[in-house]
Amino acid sequence: MTVLEVRNLQKSFGSIKAVQDISFSVHAGEVFTIIGPNGAGKTTTLEMIEGLVSPDNGVIHFGELDWNKHAVSIKKKIGVQPQSSAMFDLLTPEENLNLFASFYDHARPTEEILEIVNLTEHRKNHVKKLSGGQRQRLAIGLALISDPEIIFLDEPTTGLDPQARRNIWDIILHLKELGKTTILTTHYMEEAEKLSDRVCIVDQGNVITLDSPSALIEKLTDEREIRLSFLDGEKAAEDADGFSKELASVSKTEREGAALKIWASKPEETLLDLFKFTKDKSYGVEQVSIREMSLEDVFIAFTGKEWRD
Amino acid sequence: MNTLHQFKMMFLAQLKLTLREKQAWFWGIFFPVILMVIFMVIFSGNSDEEFKTEVAIVEPSPNPASEMMLSQISELPVIEVKSGKPVTRKKAEEWVKDQEVDAAIILPESAEASSVLLVVNKENEQGAAAQAVSGILDKFVQQANLLAAGASPKYDLQYESITSGTNELDYTDFLLTGMIALSIAQGGMFGMVDLVEMRRKGLIKRLRMTPANMGIFGLSDMVMRLLFSIVQIILLSLIGVLVFGANLYINTFTLIIVFLIGALSFNALGYFFSSFSKTTEAYMGVANICSFLMMFLSGVFFPIETMPEWIQPISAVLPLTYFADGLRESMVYETGIATASLWAGIAVMVIWGAVTFLLGSVLYKRKTIAADR
Ligand SMILES: Nc1ncnc2c1ncn2[C@@H]1O[C@H](COP(=O)(O)OP(=O)(O)OP(=O)(O)O)[C@@H](O)[C@H]1O
Ligand SMILES: [Mg+2]
Repeated sequence: MTVLEVRNLQKSFGSIKAVQDISFSVHAGEVFTIIGPNGAGKTTTLEMIEGLVSPDNGVIHFGELDWNKHAVSIKKKIGVQPQSSAMFDLLTPEENLNLFASFYDHARPTEEILEIVNLTEHRKNHVKKLSGGQRQRLAIGLALISDPEIIFLDEPTTGLDPQARRNIWDIILHLKELGKTTILTTHYMEEAEKLSDRVCIVDQGNVITLDSPSALIEKLTDEREIRLSFLDGEKAAEDADGFSKELASVSKTEREGAALKIWASKPEETLLDLFKFTKDKSYGVEQVSIREMSLEDVFIAFTGKEWRD
Repeated sequence: MNTLHQFKMMFLAQLKLTLREKQAWFWGIFFPVILMVIFMVIFSGNSDEEFKTEVAIVEPSPNPASEMMLSQISELPVIEVKSGKPVTRKKAEEWVKDQEVDAAIILPESAEASSVLLVVNKENEQGAAAQAVSGILDKFVQQANLLAAGASPKYDLQYESITSGTNELDYTDFLLTGMIALSIAQGGMFGMVDLVEMRRKGLIKRLRMTPANMGIFGLSDMVMRLLFSIVQIILLSLIGVLVFGANLYINTFTLIIVFLIGALSFNALGYFFSSFSKTTEAYMGVANICSFLMMFLSGVFFPIETMPEWIQPISAVLPLTYFADGLRESMVYETGIATASLWAGIAVMVIWGAVTFLLGSVLYKRKTIAADR
């Protein structure tokens, strides 16, 4: 079931085309991730969907509801954590949550939210005195207070330490278990791969591609990159380079000193052959790896650009 | 029910924010109190320092007693007799009215008459000069009594004041009501900086993502501000009355009307500033200029009549002039609500409030994006 559909969204700020043409639909219960470099138009897209920015063009439907006729109903259905977390700095997390809870008819209990975002300990400190990560968690808490069906998280983990980031991943996965729909943006490919049912890659205001992480990677070539480095130095690497070039499944090699990179469509077979060769020659090999393709490669393949965090 | 709950929660939040904001306390409470105390101490004249004062002397019909007094007064080092000789009573009173002299001394009409009359301008009755002349004259009269033959004191000092206009209040009352007007006005003009700050931080945007009723939010904010102003009135009045002996005769109904209209108008002015200020600094700049101008042009510290003629038309259009006047009417003269001049002042404030509020709303609308649907 589709809970949100956006079609041909467009938005310009003066001469800047922030969003050129973005369409997608989000299914109930999924984690839908929008990923893209800085300035790609992620926040602008979300803000149009959240009713904060009016699109120059395009349609936004929450099932039967749209902003022109059902603004209040939509606001009750969604929970938003904006990229720049705004809250009352002179109130405590508890007071912020209580205040936001009063805007809704069926809010979740504040203690529950504090527990979820792990702020119970800090519930009586002024927000002003919280760390960046704690603020971020409170912002997520504020998005959850209304027990929304659809949750928008704009870069929920940017600037968090690994522990806190994993903490937020747990929250998102927990929401998924509860059957909530989450739409999030991120710069971290790893995060997108781990959490999302589907990923929408955007660049310069356009959707580059959209699918489940595994499908996206499979769409790429089945070639893998093998890396080896030789204990016996450059000579051994040169020999092995020559040998592997003869193999059928190898398309390309690259050597740098004692390190060798081989691109092969059947990496396991290639490795087997290579090890036979090194054993015969009794070359010592250290650091062997097959690099898995990631969303980063997907991005590079589609845009021809380096992925930069 | 939900609306009521929302109002309650929003009001509580506003209350906590105000209580926790040190700036609010400093500028809203501490600063006006200090300013008022400084002005009252300086200008209510309890200082003993050397000074010279100019007086007019009236000798209705020269007689031995008056001749003797005249020569002695002329010799007092601190009193300078204007034009060096007695003048007519009419002339002297004119000088007092125009504040060309600090006081007029009217000598006894005959050797039998027993009183010396001191005429001062009501507006600086409590001023340093008037106090000093009266004090000096008091001593002088005592001496004269001793000199005069006879058992019982012969001369006593009678005190009379002349007023140059409708003003019939002493400086303490004047300054107290002026300070109350000023602090409420500043509360409105500076207070709306919160709005700029909330907008800059994205809090307004954040609230708009929720179904929160922004009207209720505005209302709770307004109620909080009015309460804060009431605290200002009470605190300043208490200090004025208890420490500096101000006399207040309050017409509660008039006071409530003037207070509400004034406070709302100045908040509207602040709202207007906030609608075109992108940063707190920009807002504070505008608010500072306006508050500074009004502070000195609206008769807060000194009566407008004492200012140069060419400035007075400016005062006549400033809302603070009428707010201060209205507060004086309602807190010092006990003026009833059915007074034409009072309503003229209220009208000026209403116009300022309505125009700035509308302008502010238009500017806000123009900039606001889809948010308000
Ligand atoms: N209010 C605005 N006025 C002018 N330009 C804007 C505005 N908001 C966004 N832009 C521009 O639109 C483009 C897209 O911005 P957006 O914030 O949507 O990017 P983003 O994908 O969220 O980036 P990031 O990863 O840095 O958060 C940028 O070039 C930005 O400069
Ligand atoms: Mg963004």
